[in-house]
Amino acid sequence: MNDGSSRLPGTAQRPPVAFTFAGQRVEARQGDSLAMALWAAGIADVRRSSRDGAPRGVLCNMGICYDCLVQVDGVTLRSCMVVVQDGMRVERGGKP
Amino acid sequence: MVETADLLVVGGGIIGCAVAWQCAQRLPPSTRIVLLDRGPIAGATSGSCMGHLMVTPDDAQEYAFTHQSLQLWRELQDQEGGFDYNPTGALYLADDPADIELFAVLRQQFVQNGDTADILDQQQLRALEPGLAHDLPGALFYPGDGVVLPMLACGAMLRAAQRHNPNVQVRPFTEVTGMLRRGDTLYGVRTKDGELHAANVVVASGVWSPELSDLAGQQRVPIYPRAGNLAITGHHATPIRTQLLEISYIRFAHGTVKVDPTRTDDAGGHAVNMQPQTNGGCLIGSTRQFCGMDRTLNKELLHRSLLRAQRYAPGLADAPIVRTWVGLRPYSLDKHPLIGPWPRLRGLWYATGHEGLGISLAPITGRLVAQQLAGVPTTIDATPYLPARFLR
Amino acid sequence: MNDPRIVTADVGVVGAGPAGMAAAASLARGGLSVAVLDEGPAAGGQIFRQLPNGASAAVIAEPPSHHHGHALLQQFGGSNVQHLRGAVVWDARPGRLWFEHDGQSKLLRCQRIVLAPGAYDRCVPFPGWTLPGVVTAGALQVMVRGFGIVPGKRAVVAGSGPLLLPTVTALLSAGVQVVAACEASSRWRALRALPGVFGNGARFREALWYGKQLLRAGVRLRWGWTIVGCDGDGRVQRATIAKVDGEGRPRPGTEQHFDVDVVGAGFGLVPSIELGLVLGCAARHDAARGGHVLTVDAEQRTSVAGVFAAGEIAGIGGAEVATAEGELAAAAVLHELRGAVIPPALRVKARRERRAADAMLRAFAPLPGLATLAKPDTIVCRCEDVPLARAQQAAALHGGSLRAIKVGCRAGMGPCQARICGPSLQALACGTPGQPMDLPVAQVPVKVVRSETIRAAPAD
Repeated sequence: MNDGSSRLPGTAQRPPVAFTFAGQRVEARQGDSLAMALWAAGIADVRRSSRDGAPRGVLCNMGICYDCLVQVDGVTLRSCMVVVQDGMRVERGGKP
Repeated sequence: MVETADLLVVGGGIIGCAVAWQCAQRLPPSTRIVLLDRGPIAGATSGSCMGHLMVTPDDAQEYAFTHQSLQLWRELQDQEGGFDYNPTGALYLADDPADIELFAVLRQQFVQNGDTADILDQQQLRALEPGLAHDLPGALFYPGDGVVLPMLACGAMLRAAQRHNPNVQVRPFTEVTGMLRRGDTLYGVRTKDGELHAANVVVASGVWSPELSDLAGQQRVPIYPRAGNLAITGHHATPIRTQLLEISYIRFAHGTVKVDPTRTDDAGGHAVNMQPQTNGGCLIGSTRQFCGMDRTLNKELLHRSLLRAQRYAPGLADAPIVRTWVGLRPYSLDKHPLIGPWPRLRGLWYATGHEGLGISLAPITGRLVAQQLAGVPTTIDATPYLPARFLR
Repeated sequence: MNDPRIVTADVGVVGAGPAGMAAAASLARGGLSVAVLDEGPAAGGQIFRQLPNGASAAVIAEPPSHHHGHALLQQFGGSNVQHLRGAVVWDARPGRLWFEHDGQSKLLRCQRIVLAPGAYDRCVPFPGWTLPGVVTAGALQVMVRGFGIVPGKRAVVAGSGPLLLPTVTALLSAGVQVVAACEASSRWRALRALPGVFGNGARFREALWYGKQLLRAGVRLRWGWTIVGCDGDGRVQRATIAKVDGEGRPRPGTEQHFDVDVVGAGFGLVPSIELGLVLGCAARHDAARGGHVLTVDAEQRTSVAGVFAAGEIAGIGGAEVATAEGELAAAAVLHELRGAVIPPALRVKARRERRAADAMLRAFAPLPGLATLAKPDTIVCRCEDVPLARAQQAAALHGGSLRAIKVGCRAGMGPCQARICGPSLQALACGTPGQPMDLPVAQVPVKVVRSETIRAAPAD
């Protein structure tokens, strides 16, 4: 669902960036956070709960809740606080 | 208001909860047991410590003491669970060549007690723990140790106690403000709710035990607070699966180095102890310093702790730290806990002074107290722990 | 020498939202050197979020008050301050702020500290709130204003307080269909806010603007309703709302269900006082002002010499209060360091704005019945996945305090450092009769930072 309708007009005039999430290529814009790039691409479940594997995602979108954890090149980070870089390899957060 | 019970336990930390658990299991189910704490259950040292289940093979007595206690921990896990019990074993590490020879010494101690421990070479160590520094020469792995979460274990022990004996009452936020004496007999305590009478009162108050001695008008038990600084990482940041100890920990924590717990200028020291947590985090310790009841973070010791942890697990430098804090271990003057009756006041018992082995030794302590109260032979020789040894 | 890890300034300002920006600009105008430490990538705080790289925003409607924000941003941008973006403050003492910045462990040495770190969303647990797609009101603002992302097609918004309206209008301006907008307070309770609204020209204009936006979109605000559940397969697909009584307790039998793909929950804000507590500042509980707030005097001084506080951490109040208090705090600092006279007009303005904000907020103080939304299996601590039933068991066995609940089930011990779960655990703890409000524990690091940041912290 990465068509233009997921972004407001006039807000996407930024250079394109691409990364992979769980092996899939995701297109984004320079300045996006990982969480927002994924949300725009229709992906809201960015991690699995360690306790019961339940899908989890963004709650606060400002670095407070630690719910949006993903693994970026092997390191667990808050996806809402990571600015997308070209070529990032991102996996869902939580225990594999 | 005057209430009557049979046994009072003063202190809702790991020792108090273990005493309640074992007494509930071994004394008649009609025994009225009341556990009191002036704050939350597990709210003090037991809510601020590491959760090491450790076997110490120094001598036959120490080995039996710790080994049997760990067996009781396994029983609690089978009966109750719910405290993140993890039979990780323990990996003893060294980076000072002078310490590497200690691997063989420690291994021999285990063997002498009929147990096993494996010396790992560099390759084997890397296979077991790929997250460790690659230049470590090797390690000693002892499979018998484990990790628990002490604050949850307190709850598990109390739930087990209440299952065995419906007459076990738990009263947090109930401070003992007085001890009731008639001649050389203790017959109860006073709290904000009134008087609570019982034939036996077990003081399991950790670093506050001497204050209870004061309330009872008795010589203070020689227990001194020994502060430990800890840090815990966020989830999924642990570089290790087993528990790590620097082998120098043994010298430092339980060893032969003479320390004076009353000095006010103790700079303190440190030896690595790291524990993986169920949520994928890592608990990092272990520092020791005599500084009274001060729970202010010692930044210098904490930084040294993090530096040394990073030496063994380099990836830890990037680990997110969620919290740092200080806990107070109850250090006994002769390094052994006090378990048993106080001869000068009938009805007063102590179960306290375990320093860094409180979690490990809680179940066996509870068992010894239960056996002593019931007047039956103790599972292991409890003579070294009798409080009477400190009588002046 | 020039150690890049040591920053020196007359004043350290924590936060680049309205309070921080106003304080910093005033201080710089007064001739002091200022370093502003802010976690975000750009100034503006949460209320004046900007798009990345200054990309223009065509259709994000803004209420009248936001022109102040633009003025403030311009003023701040043009002022002679050191603005350190992405700086996470994790420890402090008077005159010293330790922070993580650009992957390094740094220290700001200053004469005075102005705390303006703002607030975060108050979370109320309800069944299904952990489903992806259920976010806070603040999250939606960041999404729309900060990144220009359309949150979804159909939304339910629920919560309480003045922030509900900006959340709804942000969604509407992003083209989202708001199928239900629920204010938990009753209309009558909200009428108590009227004097605050009518007594203030700017607030009145603001209220009219919001009213017009909702009218235009055909969205009717439901008074005395709230969200009682969400469900869906892998993400939120259905939201259930219900009527609530005067205490906020749902009335059985009034449930309505909606198909949605995004849910916004906004139950007010919680002041970020944690850094203030580490500094030793006195705090008190003020339910209408969002919970525990730092106590300040008439010139924004905290109880600790050399430490000032402005904006949300002195009590939730919004951008006008924050700006006025930021200016007043700066004037007080200038008085202390330069002997400058504190303009009485600043004191008057700050007091006036605060009174108006208090009047509004009194109508939206947290409703106790919202604590009953959570069911026994509803997760109350999201970090450690602790359901309500376990937290209740912990309170029953370990004692009814926040600490007791923590040690009994580990709720509140995760990386959010009890910001998300704290208010609901507090409500659980204080459900125990006779239990006073627990002050959150002051601990270091105030925010999660790397181990190496702590280990390599520059010396005092």
